Amino acid sequence: MNILPFIISGLGIGAVYALSGVGLVILFRATGVLNFAFGAFGAMGAHVAWQALEWKMPLFVAILAAVAVSTAISFIYGRVFAPLLSQRDTVVRAVGTLAPALVLIAAMGMIWGELPRRLQFPTDQMFLSIFDVRLTYTRIIAIFLAVLMVGAITLLLNRTRLGLDMRALANDRDLSAILGVRILYTETAAWVITGVFSGFAGLLLADLVRLQGTFLTLLVIPAIAAAILGQLRSLWVTAMAGLLVGIAEAVLTPIAWISPYRAAAPFIIALVAVTILGGTAKAALKDR
Amino acid sequence: MKISIRGLAVGLALTLCSAFSAHAAASCGDGSGQAATGEPIIIGAITGKTGPDDFSNSTKAAKAYFDCLNANGGIKGRPVKYLVEDDQWNPETAAQLAAKLVDDQKAVLMVGNSSYVECGANAEFYKKAGILVVAGVGVPRECFFADNYAPTNAGPRVSMLGAMGYALDKLNAKSVVCIGPNIPNVGTWSCDGVMLLAKEKGFAAETILMDPGSADATSIILQAAASKPDVIVLGMSKGVAVPLLTAAEEQGLNQTTTFLSAASAYDLSVPSTIGSGWDGKFYVNMEFNDLEATTEDNQNWLAVMDEYGQKSDPRDTFAQAGYLAARITEKALMTLDPANITRETAAEAVRKVKDFKSDIFCAPWYFGEGQARHNANSTTRMAVSESGKWKVVSDCAPSPDPELKDIRAYEKSAGLN
Repeated sequence: MNILPFIISGLGIGAVYALSGVGLVILFRATGVLNFAFGAFGAMGAHVAWQALEWKMPLFVAILAAVAVSTAISFIYGRVFAPLLSQRDTVVRAVGTLAPALVLIAAMGMIWGELPRRLQFPTDQMFLSIFDVRLTYTRIIAIFLAVLMVGAITLLLNRTRLGLDMRALANDRDLSAILGVRILYTETAAWVITGVFSGFAGLLLADLVRLQGTFLTLLVIPAIAAAILGQLRSLWVTAMAGLLVGIAEAVLTPIAWISPYRAAAPFIIALVAVTILGGTAKAALKDR
Repeated sequence: MKISIRGLAVGLALTLCSAFSAHAAASCGDGSGQAATGEPIIIGAITGKTGPDDFSNSTKAAKAYFDCLNANGGIKGRPVKYLVEDDQWNPETAAQLAAKLVDDQKAVLMVGNSSYVECGANAEFYKKAGILVVAGVGVPRECFFADNYAPTNAGPRVSMLGAMGYALDKLNAKSVVCIGPNIPNVGTWSCDGVMLLAKEKGFAAETILMDPGSADATSIILQAAASKPDVIVLGMSKGVAVPLLTAAEEQGLNQTTTFLSAASAYDLSVPSTIGSGWDGKFYVNMEFNDLEATTEDNQNWLAVMDEYGQKSDPRDTFAQAGYLAARITEKALMTLDPANITRETAAEAVRKVKDFKSDIFCAPWYFGEGQARHNANSTTRMAVSESGKWKVVSDCAPSPDPELKDIRAYEKSAGLN
């Protein structure tokens, strides 16, 4: 059985899972919020891009609009609503993000309905053939974008004042406050960064998978699996884990007895990860 | 006094306006324009409105037809009181609602039902209660294998095999891959039909079952393409069929392989969504006539929707199904003495329905008295995606589903079709 084509096929989506996972980890490290609405932020942006293209606007305007909308929604939630929950524990803050997710799903349903749509980029038509599989430029862009953005974020964390503040917050919130870290400012910056990530991830997933609000919202789950594998800390491990989740899902396809259930792969990987890494993850949470 | 005269004048003007502006007047009942005022006949319906998808277009259309009927004499002077309930795609809710409609509201018939979960949950109950169901759209196998349940549509399996038959006869397909959802009694049922036919007729066939919630369409397409089939048939909803076709186009399969689908992908929006890459390459089976057909009954359906439905009610195949279910019911009840319409007499009248003609169907619809299952709609058409629209490419052809043997035998013995 030749699994090479399936590895190639899983690469593109895996890269977007990686991007999403990193977006989640950035936010969690700086604010302690696990953002279940990440997928919904991206889905909203993707729908805006589709609408812009429908109105015959140029592609780069559509992409800009998508990322801007996702980022704006993330900013508004992070600046207005998230601080109201900042004194509550991690679980409450995570569950709180389900509210914007549900509101956005409903809004997308009302505005665009559940009819299947297709978001296309010119790069969908260009491809490289590897092992008899066409790897479109969109997928290659996804991989490069994932690497680029993780690299950029690593630089930001290690080289800038904001990054230092974020790392300080991640280590000890109360102590950071005493030392004069501007908590609200730093947290809002993290929400903006995660918003940018969600915008790009949403656009790519809408093109590679399907443009449908509820569906894109739920694609946060493989990203959470990747983030957990990265123990909600390491950006590079999260990125690698995201890629692996995507590839694992694809590679299970030719195995007949498991193939119909392979969509469960991210959940099972996450479950196993929680079981094995449970102890260390708990330690990470205690830190906060 | 002054005000009421002005009111009358405005009312008259509006009536005249509406009378002249309608393109073709909706025709139903006795066409008298006299509202029915007698004792209402209670008819129930269960539909899956809220949940993963909205199936209520069928009951919306049936409601429009019954409203039209009530405004035109009703059933010999008795209006239909049509009670529609939403099962929320929950079998337990469906069972509770059936009990409510049948036991508490004393419905004499169920008409236009369209639900994913209802057949499995309620078929036995309907049999025990002695009530018949003239359903709109049935999806899982249970809807076509029940004593008292007769849908107007063909069902996913008959429809998929209709597409398969076209691939064999007109496209000279020698090998096929069937892609269906991993939902028991839907996807497996449909693809099993293709496998069975393959065994009978001796062509190569393979089945791939997929989770409709899976994000990775490309891998499914790669696996389907691995055996280099002549055609690939899909049994997925339009929401999943479009991403599969997108992934196939990405791999260049639209250049080499013809794709076909059961009626679940027949929606007017699909050809323009998938784009010109699929022109002449993606065929779909149709359970009913072209939604835009200019034939008499199809136009009447559209006129009924315009006059008695909401503007926002979709004009889709589900609506055609609901309209037909309501018309069949009208025909059956009209044979009865209006003073004596009970569950028993209504059931008897529906059982006797045969040779119900409509140009929305391919062949006349019948209930199938004494049959343990009902699948009267088993003759279908095909259409192909062509510059953003569906183009009907075939005449009506009987579905070659081997499982229809009993139905065909009954039709022959009863002298039907």
